Order: sequence, then structure tokens, then C-alpha cells
Amino acid sequence: MNDHVIAMHHVTKTFGQQVAVDDLSLLVPAQSIYGFIGPNGSGKTTTMRMIMNILYPDRGAISVFGRSVFGRPPDEIGYLPEERGLYKKMKVRELLAFLGGLKSNRNVAREVDDWLARLQLAACANQKLETLSKGMSQKVQFIAAVVTRPPLLVLDEPFTGLDPVNADVIRQAILELRAQGTTVMLSTHDMAVAENMCDYICMIFRGRKVLDGTLDSIQSAYGHDTVRLRCEAGLSALHDLPGVMMVQDFGQLQELQLARDCDPQMILKTIIARTAVQSFELARPSLHAIFVRIAGPEAQEVGRA
Amino acid sequence: MRKILLIVKREYLAAVRTVGFAIGLVVAPLLFGGGFIAVKLLEGQVDTADKRVAVVDYTGRLSAALVEAAARRNAGEVYEAGTKNKIKPAYLLEPVSPLAADPALLRLQLSERVRRRELHAFLEIEAGVVHPRRDSAQARIAYYAPNAAINEVRSWLRAQINEELRRLRLADAGIDPVTIPDLFDWMPVEGLGLLSQDQATGEVGEAQRVSEAQSIGIPLIMGFLMVLMMMMGAAPLLNAVTEEKSQRIAEVLLGAVKPFEFMLGKVLGGVSVSLTGSVVYLLISLVATISAGAAGVMPFAVVPWFFVYMILAILMVGAIMAALGAACNDARDVQSLTFPAIVPILLPTFIMIPVLGEPNSTFAVLASLFPLFSPILMLVRLSVPGGIPAWQPWAALIGMIAFALLLVWAGGRVFRVGILLQGQPPRLREIMRWAVRG
Repeated sequence: MNDHVIAMHHVTKTFGQQVAVDDLSLLVPAQSIYGFIGPNGSGKTTTMRMIMNILYPDRGAISVFGRSVFGRPPDEIGYLPEERGLYKKMKVRELLAFLGGLKSNRNVAREVDDWLARLQLAACANQKLETLSKGMSQKVQFIAAVVTRPPLLVLDEPFTGLDPVNADVIRQAILELRAQGTTVMLSTHDMAVAENMCDYICMIFRGRKVLDGTLDSIQSAYGHDTVRLRCEAGLSALHDLPGVMMVQDFGQLQELQLARDCDPQMILKTIIARTAVQSFELARPSLHAIFVRIAGPEAQEVGRA
Repeated sequence: MRKILLIVKREYLAAVRTVGFAIGLVVAPLLFGGGFIAVKLLEGQVDTADKRVAVVDYTGRLSAALVEAAARRNAGEVYEAGTKNKIKPAYLLEPVSPLAADPALLRLQLSERVRRRELHAFLEIEAGVVHPRRDSAQARIAYYAPNAAINEVRSWLRAQINEELRRLRLADAGIDPVTIPDLFDWMPVEGLGLLSQDQATGEVGEAQRVSEAQSIGIPLIMGFLMVLMMMMGAAPLLNAVTEEKSQRIAEVLLGAVKPFEFMLGKVLGGVSVSLTGSVVYLLISLVATISAGAAGVMPFAVVPWFFVYMILAILMVGAIMAALGAACNDARDVQSLTFPAIVPILLPTFIMIPVLGEPNSTFAVLASLFPLFSPILMLVRLSVPGGIPAWQPWAALIGMIAFALLLVWAGGRVFRVGILLQGQPPRLREIMRWAVRG
């Protein structure tokens, strides 16, 4: 089998005048969790819809498991759309059997019951969808995506709207599926999810790919240019530091981005002279910081100029 | 194919399991036949309070005969023969002397009495009515009542007065009406079908008697049944598709099936719903006609045509509805498109009556050969006794099959573009462009 479950080559999709996805190429390795990040409207959902063969690219080629997706039902891909919707008048078990039946020839009744029990929904199996809470129906929708055991999952924002307990349940389920050999592509706004869960991270911005690789390789590319600092005076002690390009304030903690040729020891000396330093850590930038550098307001202005 | 069937099954169960479906099955024919049924029901509920009418007779020759006719009617018709239950109001005529006052004042006085409910109405017969051509200035009969336009008493009086006037005119001409008892007998003209000769025996059969029920009733019922089935099977798709789009159910399904399969599944779901409805109606009418001993009125030869035409009608109109539904974003968009969407149902419904009157006119032939109108109009023409050229229902069938394929294909293209497109209000021109360009 091909090493890459999803392969996109130079894919472009426009809606009228607007370019949603611009010459995007990416490879999703088998049995990995591939995180897809980027600001709102950057083309994540459009890309996922093209992988699902719901939208057709204007140019470029997309293949899944080595075969072009065009004109073929995406039966081997479990899909969780960003905007959730289910037939409100149907009963949970009935609906899952229906959606499972659309994806596979088998009778999925047993898997449905297994999954309902696993996500603590067994009690609602015979209730109508309209009686469920939002979190519960989101779990039902997750089951709909995974119940036929597809070898590839495409999950658009699987954690939004879930409380921490339910988010953990879903996270656990995704990790187990991966351990059993499933490849997972998921989009998220939560940088912690991307950092902690994903083997590979791809960021797109305005339809173009701006980051692609393991977290390690992405952070290495930016080097050890970040200082995490706690000090008594807080932000007020950090003005006019030579060689510091940006200060991000988290309240109790500040993150400094250093210029390439700046010596961290000099910075430390300057700050100690001003206030008592509680902790000083030389680190690689967090994914959050990288995201903001690429897609923050300042970057957007540069991008427009 | 398996996926389409799954969607059809879900659509069918979702539609048929609701209470609304059962209610709709009962209510819809009531709405269509509503006026007729209401009249039938209310017939037994007549107001039996006696009706007193004052008669001012300036001829002096009519009021006695009218009073006598009323008495005859009251004795014969007011009470049910066996039970002596009062089933109709008695008509009590009260002759008023015309000499009492000047006519205008008398009319005013009588009007006051009607307002006080002492009278139901009053009748004024001018002096010249016996020979209206001679005395045209004074040849009016007026019936004054709070609501004179529709009034049973007035129509009864008209018949009695004219009967008596004819007798008076004969008498004035010196003829005794008794010598010509059948002078005023009214002869009906019977409607019959054409004769045909039996090929084998050479016998000439009796012409079939054509009743009004057969020549108008059956085609109308068939036509309205088709309209009803299109309303039941195809029209709801407009709303249903928009709802699935706005509730984001569509994208979940599109993760598993192609847009075309999705649409076809919904349209075929509509077909299955209307098949259920029509089979129910058919069985009911079969049982009803057999138990009434009138199974002969059932147009058995037309029934197969009905089913074939109905399936094609739902495919055509359903594809239009589903495509338009996919182009809408919310209920308001649906509202603005509802009218153009049901034109293919409404227009032939309006044309039905003129087509029924002249089923073989050029207009009727052409209108019933237009594929969108064929299901209703060709069916109506097929049900008319006397028949239509044999090639026409087949030509309509071929036209409908071709048109259904075209509409399902084009509808599928519109559906695919529209179903994921959010926030753009549907414009018919834009929709046509999607259909052509895909």
C-alpha cells in the first residue's frame, strides 16, 4: 500500500472571484494524525470537502489510498462535517443504522450499540435526536463518522462545542482508532490539540500552505528564539529591550521573541537590573506563537502591503 | 443503487409514519370535494321554520292560484311520508289587497313587517304580467327580501307564477288548457355513446348510456387525484430539501452518497409516498363502488395509465422541486419560489375544465401533449367516454419519459451546486445557468 493515504497535488479551488484554496499540495502519511490548522476562512473546510469529493477542484489532483477521488463514493472515508446536522425526528439507533448503511454493505447494528455504550449514549439509543443536548448529538455525529470502521477519518473541528469531559472521550476514541491503524485528518482551532495530538501539522493561510511537517520540524525551523519569563514587575519591566522583536503578554507569563543575533544572556542581565526574575526559560516558539506570527494582525498587514 | 434505495426507504418511512400523512389522506379529498360534500351534508340540515310571504297582486288573477299551489305543496312535501317528521318549511302566502294604499307606501309598510320578522318576504305582481308584450311598462314581478338573490322560496314562486301565467294566456286566447294536458311537458335529451359492431358476431351493440357522472365526474376525479398525488409526493420536496440544507443534514449525507443519488432518492421517496396514497384511494373507491353495486363506473382501463403517468409526474415535478429546494437557504427563499414551483401543477388544473368540455379540440390535444401537463390533461382526456386517438396517450408517455430524464439530469446538476451554497438568494436565471453549465 502507498505510504501516503491522502495525496493532493497543486489543487486550486475558486468560488467566483475568491480563491479558496491556492495551489495546495499535501501528503498525509498512513496511520498518522494529521492536524490541519489555519485561521477562519483560510480554506480548511473547502480542502476537506474536496477530499470527500463533495466539491470538485478547479485544478490539481487528489487521491486517497492511491486512487483518484473523482467520481467515486468516498466509502472508505469517515467524515465529520464542521456544521453538524442530523434528522431531528429520527431515533438515535435508527439514524446511525441508516448512515452506516449508506457507507457500507454490512449491517452495522452491533457496532452502533458498541459505540453508543462507549460514548455513554446507550440510554438514548431509542430517543429522537431532537431530545438530545448539543454535546450528545455531537457524539452521535462522531459515531456516524466512525461506525463503519473506515481506514481514513476526515474530522472538521471535532472538539468545538464539547465540554472537557466529552472532548476527552472523543480524543481517547480517536487515539484508539489510530492505534488500530486508522489514519486521521482533523482540523482544529485549538493549538494545544494540534501540539499534543498530531503527528503532523499543516497550516494553511489564505488558501496557501504555510507550514507542513512534524511539530518538531516546524519548531526547529524557528529555532530557540523564544524566552518564557516570569518576573515581579510583569510587563512593565519589559519595555525597550534591545534585540526583542515582540512581547506577548499572558498576564502571569510573558513570551519574548528574540532577533536572530540577539544574546539571551544580555536580555536576562537587563531584566534582572530592572526587577526580580522568578523564571527564565529559553525555548522554541509554541505553535500558538508561530500561528500568531503567521496569521496575527501584524502579519496580515505585511501580507497585504 | 443500494444507497438510493436506502434513502428512498428512509424518506418513505419519514413521510408515511407521521400523523400528518394519515390526516392528509383523509383531509385532502375533503378539501377538493369540499364544496360538494358540504352541500350534501347541509341538505339534510334545512331550516324548517315556516316562511310567510305577502303577495300584492295587481292583476287580481294570480294570488288565488298561488295560495292554492302553496297549500298543495305544504300538504305534500313538508312532512316526511312515513314518519311525519317535518323536513321542509311550509310556505304561507298572505294575499294583501293592493287597494289599501299607494304602491310605494305599501312596499314600505311590508318592508317594515319583513324587518320585524313577521314576514319572510313579500311579492309584488304588476298588472301587466299576463300579457307583458302588450303592457311592457307594467310587467314586473318583484320579490322583496333581506337577501333576495339566493332564495328557495323565490325560485319556487317563479315556477308557480309562470305555470299559472301560461294557463291564463291560453284562457285569454280562448283555449281551455285541459284539452292539451301535455302542452307544457318538458322532454330531456339523452346523452349516448357511439354504436359499434361486434367483429365476430356482426351484432350491433346497444349504445352506452353516458351519464353525467361518467362524462364529467370520472375524468374530474381522475384529474384531481393526479393533482392530489403530485401535491402529496412532489410538492413537499421543495421544503424538505431546503430544510436538510439549512439544518446541515445535507453535508452529512453528501459524505456518503453522490448529490445525484441523494436527489434521486428523495424524488423516488416522493413517488413511493404517492403510490401508497393512490393505492389507498383506489381500494377505497373500489370497495365503495362494488358495495354500491356500481363497479361499472370504475374506469379500469385508465387505471394503468394513471399509475404510469403519476410516477413520471412525480419524477418531473419532484426533480424541479428538489432542485429549487437546494437553491434556497431558508423558509423565506422557499416562499418566493413556491409559486413558480407549483405552476406545473396549477396550470393544468385550471385548464382541466375547458379540456373536459372539448377533449378533442386542437388546444386540448396540444396542451395534453406538453410533458409537464400530460399527467393531468392526458389522463382527463383518457377518462372521457368516447375516447381519443390511440396514439396520443403513447405520444404523451414518450414525451414525459424524455422530459423526466432531462429534468432529473438538470435537476441533479442544480442540486449539486445549490446544496452546499450558503447565503446566496436563489435567482431563477442563476439556477438555469447551473442546470446548463453544471
